[in-house]
Amino acid sequence: MNSRSLLVTGALVRDTFREAFARKIFWGFFGCSTALILFFVFILKIDIVQGAIATVSLFGKSSRGEDVQRLVHQVHGAIAAFLFTAGMFLAVFASAGLIPSVFEPGRIELLLSKPVARHHILLGRYIGNVLVIAANIFYLVFAVWIIFGIKTGVWTYGFLWASVLTIFIFSVLLTVVVLIGVLWESAVVATMVTFGIMLVSPILAQKPLLERLLTSETSRNVVRAFYYALPKAFDVGRISRSLVLGEPVTSWMPLWSSAIFGVVVLAGGLYAFSKRNY
Amino acid sequence: MSFAITTEGLVKVFRNRWSGKEVRAVDGISLQVERGATFGLLGPNGAGKTTFVKMLLSCAHPTAGRAMVFDRDSREPEARRPIGYLPENHRFPTYLTGESMLDFYGALSGMEAASRRKRIPELLAIVGLAEWGKVRLGKYSKGMLQRVGLAQALMHAPSLLVLDEPSDGVDPIGRRQIRDILHTLEQQGVTIFLNSHLLAEVELFCRDVAIIHRGRVALEGKVKDLTTGSGYRIEAEHVPERLEQELRQKAVAVAPRNGNVEFLFGSREAANQAVDQLRAEHCEIETVARTTSTLEDVFVRTINE
Repeated sequence: MNSRSLLVTGALVRDTFREAFARKIFWGFFGCSTALILFFVFILKIDIVQGAIATVSLFGKSSRGEDVQRLVHQVHGAIAAFLFTAGMFLAVFASAGLIPSVFEPGRIELLLSKPVARHHILLGRYIGNVLVIAANIFYLVFAVWIIFGIKTGVWTYGFLWASVLTIFIFSVLLTVVVLIGVLWESAVVATMVTFGIMLVSPILAQKPLLERLLTSETSRNVVRAFYYALPKAFDVGRISRSLVLGEPVTSWMPLWSSAIFGVVVLAGGLYAFSKRNY
Repeated sequence: MSFAITTEGLVKVFRNRWSGKEVRAVDGISLQVERGATFGLLGPNGAGKTTFVKMLLSCAHPTAGRAMVFDRDSREPEARRPIGYLPENHRFPTYLTGESMLDFYGALSGMEAASRRKRIPELLAIVGLAEWGKVRLGKYSKGMLQRVGLAQALMHAPSLLVLDEPSDGVDPIGRRQIRDILHTLEQQGVTIFLNSHLLAEVELFCRDVAIIHRGRVALEGKVKDLTTGSGYRIEAEHVPERLEQELRQKAVAVAPRNGNVEFLFGSREAANQAVDQLRAEHCEIETVARTTSTLEDVFVRTINE
């Protein structure tokens, strides 16, 4: 990538951040994350005696002592689970408009009139969108990790990997927003399709059970096809949980198959964008 | 002769995805715009002007033919580097300020940060918005948006300026200001391609003009020749290619018309010579008429015919 490409990419990323700021997306996430961080800083009090928790105080009420490691894992696991479920929905909902807004008449012509390849415009916007969400996720995860590390002395790196996986699955789901955004130029349709894929993910994750319940081989093949073709947000969430809890990961397949989905869908979006008339 | 814009048989057919119905928005336009020219593109609504401009900028892909900008295929991103463009019905992001908008589009044009920082206040002053640089575009009036849009198009000092209805929504003073800016640019050798409904504006500013009707060039020539003094219009049938080329050298404008060819001559002598040549080649002469007209007259007559 030459310096001119970097200049253009930087401009597109900055513009995405500006739009996110203006839409209050960034500040909404930032506010929620900050509230959670402050909660852990001021409300949760942990007294440790010889490496074990003597008391855990919440809103002035004390509970019985727990093993430090276990408590930290539980909190990290809860945050990772939150990021993979509600956080992911929020991220997609809040940022889905950032891609289709580029295709608004009167705006897209200006972008296309610049000496920038079409794929570069779309990729710049995509990267900007991922970075908006990544900045918020890293902010929350790092802050919580540091707070718990300082309060408990437990530094579990698996939690940091959870944030990376959350951003990864968001970037995969965002490719759907890109493709739908290019084809329909509608944030609503893009959000609905992406939510559909997210909602079907935990159902398809029950593939072994579904295979047992379904009587027809055709139906089983349909389930398998959907399972392998679609991104596995739920299964990647399980990997994330394993990493947080320090458990071994049984299969990395959900990760690489989701990555393949993302690459294919993004390529489809870039191709469709290169062929469209505005 | 080198040209800023060259199009060869440019065609754009829009096909409805569901019904398969086709609309031929641009139907074989071949145009040449000289470097340093001030060129006006005219036509009624739906004539194909905007589609033509969009193909120049690669916003729309030609179905057939090709467009060249400074001898580069318009589909190449580099072909757009010398172009400054102000679209009709532009929608600048309202979350940007005047300064940040110019900074963004300047960066997309490949300008380094230092050049952008230097250029932005200069341009805002030129378009009369020096005090408005830090204000969000959402607060700008339509005329101000048009002026900051022009500043955006000028940001990287383009050699070709493509303006789609630049005076739209601008008050008379602002319009005058825009015209003065364009005159300065013309003197600097910038090619200006104006797509406008305002015939008086085109007549005042442009040296060359093309009228597009139903996706085709209906008339092309120099504004001065088309509009001032008396002229002579000759419409003939079965004109051999060689003779058409020969007469094209003497005519002020040439346009195809219903299978015939229409020539506009600036003098009686030139018209008489043309009649002699056409008859010598056994061409059927359909019309010989004297013309005295404003650009509006030319436009209305061209469209009605």
